[in-house]
Amino acid sequence: MKNPFCLKPLDISEKSKSIRQSIIHMNSFAGAGHTGADLSETDILASLYFNFLRYDLNDLKNPERDRFILSKGHGAGGYYCALAEAGIIDKSLLETYLQKDSTLPGHPVRQKTPAVEFNTGALGHGLPVSAGLALAAKKQNRDYRTIVLLGDGELEEGSNWEASMSAAHFKLDNLIVIVDRNGLQLADRTEKIMALEPLDKKFEAFGYSVRKVDGNDPQQIIDCLESCTASEGKPHLILAETTKGKGVSFIEDQPSWHHRIPVGDEIQKAIEELE
Amino acid sequence: MTEIRDSFVETIIELRKTDDKLVVLVSDSSSTCRIKPFMEAYPESVVNVGIAEQNLVGMAAGMSLGGMIPFTANAAPFLMGRSNEQVKTDICYSNTNVKLVGLNPGFAYGSLGPTHHCLDDLSTALSFGNIEVYAPCDPEEVAQVTSYAYKKEGPVYIRLDSFKADNIHPSDYKFTPGEPVVLSEGKDIAIVSTGTIVHETIKAAENLEAKGVSVKLINLPSLRPLNRDALASALSGVSAAVSAEEHTLYGGLGSILSDLIVEKGLGLKLKKLGVPEGEFAPASPRGDIRKGYNLDSEGIMDTCLKMLK
Repeated sequence: MKNPFCLKPLDISEKSKSIRQSIIHMNSFAGAGHTGADLSETDILASLYFNFLRYDLNDLKNPERDRFILSKGHGAGGYYCALAEAGIIDKSLLETYLQKDSTLPGHPVRQKTPAVEFNTGALGHGLPVSAGLALAAKKQNRDYRTIVLLGDGELEEGSNWEASMSAAHFKLDNLIVIVDRNGLQLADRTEKIMALEPLDKKFEAFGYSVRKVDGNDPQQIIDCLESCTASEGKPHLILAETTKGKGVSFIEDQPSWHHRIPVGDEIQKAIEELE
Repeated sequence: MTEIRDSFVETIIELRKTDDKLVVLVSDSSSTCRIKPFMEAYPESVVNVGIAEQNLVGMAAGMSLGGMIPFTANAAPFLMGRSNEQVKTDICYSNTNVKLVGLNPGFAYGSLGPTHHCLDDLSTALSFGNIEVYAPCDPEEVAQVTSYAYKKEGPVYIRLDSFKADNIHPSDYKFTPGEPVVLSEGKDIAIVSTGTIVHETIKAAENLEAKGVSVKLINLPSLRPLNRDALASALSGVSAAVSAEEHTLYGGLGSILSDLIVEKGLGLKLKKLGVPEGEFAPASPRGDIRKGYNLDSEGIMDTCLKMLK
């Protein structure tokens, strides 16, 4: 199985642009959402769905598909827009985001949205579950890879470190952990709320093979993901340095935009910047 | 007499013989669940995640998403307490095919005290929408509940005590999810219990019968699903009932009964035995704690006699 698109980095950037525009429109229409988080993760999601992840658009439940889990479940908006861009869900569905009985609720739900593997929203859950998925592949000699995207603030949850010990102990080199390292969490900068650095050294000490990339550059993201497929007997950790709110000047790197949405003139201004 | 945890282990050995997707996750709790014979037979099918209960439950959910059938086996207080949100989100809300086995519930750890007592696992599990909840009482029931849980697609919780017991059900006993089990017919008072307290209620009923009291004895191994009509019907004909559980009086067996009596308008008096509001059970040998809460056979008998005065 391979990725249904196999796009090159420049084309992925075009997809990112389109996804970001969808995020602005969708969140504004819904009147809610986590705009900063959605824009932060966009290039990572686009790189995954348009290049790296192996899946079948006509058979999304194929047992041999790669598994992707969005552990930072509040990034659901960006996730849905990426799924719509890939044709996994219909773009018209984005107008139902957060509405009554929508298949696109505020956090991903596997019973509702195609391609969603696991229900997230509470933080610190995606990594243990992904470690379990990766271990199940090892136990059954199966080739699917497990990729999990974590928020950086989420790393304050202790369950991540329990799972990290297990990922290294069980030598889960079929597990790729990506940290969306934008430096911000709900209340303020991560380093002000609860200092995380030096993250690379912490993850190395926990037994990961650690790589750093510009998490808003598809070329770097893809090259890095490809280098993670080598079997090293260690789980892979990508510190993806991103800008929260990437692409819209007045949203970028502002804690207040964690769950703000563009209103009034901001909508047009944001779209213009994204064109 | 068989230790009922051994019955669980023997059953999963049998199931594993024909299904290599069955896997058991423990959190340094391999001795707690006496799983050594399984580990010797199928070392590749045991995952020890260390002392990390949140990760235990999360990884079990992940392994089920990868197509395996995970059983977790660790001490009930740390399963339902430490990994409460993982049980809620990773198992119940995500509806993963995981079987949670909570070992040594209630006062099983006795003198080790309230850190190790588990008095809220039933109420906690019952509060999470979809998970099925069972508390088997003897070796045969443990075996049948375990086999059922393996076959059932979706989340299951089994409250598995440390307890040596003979089978109390007839040899042709067939466990049926949801169904109350009437152990003896009687017309004066009903005693309802779940898990190993059933053995205390049997003794209590024998002593009551000797005093001329006719006891309807009900074992409720299945707390969800629950055939409420069948339980209401089983309670009809008596004017009083006593419930007995090693659990808080809030949200467990007693609450189920009191709700049912009100909902169905059964009009019978109920005395709930268990741990009341506002206290931890003392750190004492299990028998003493049971006695303190009238959960031993004598206390249950005395409670029944008082109800009938």
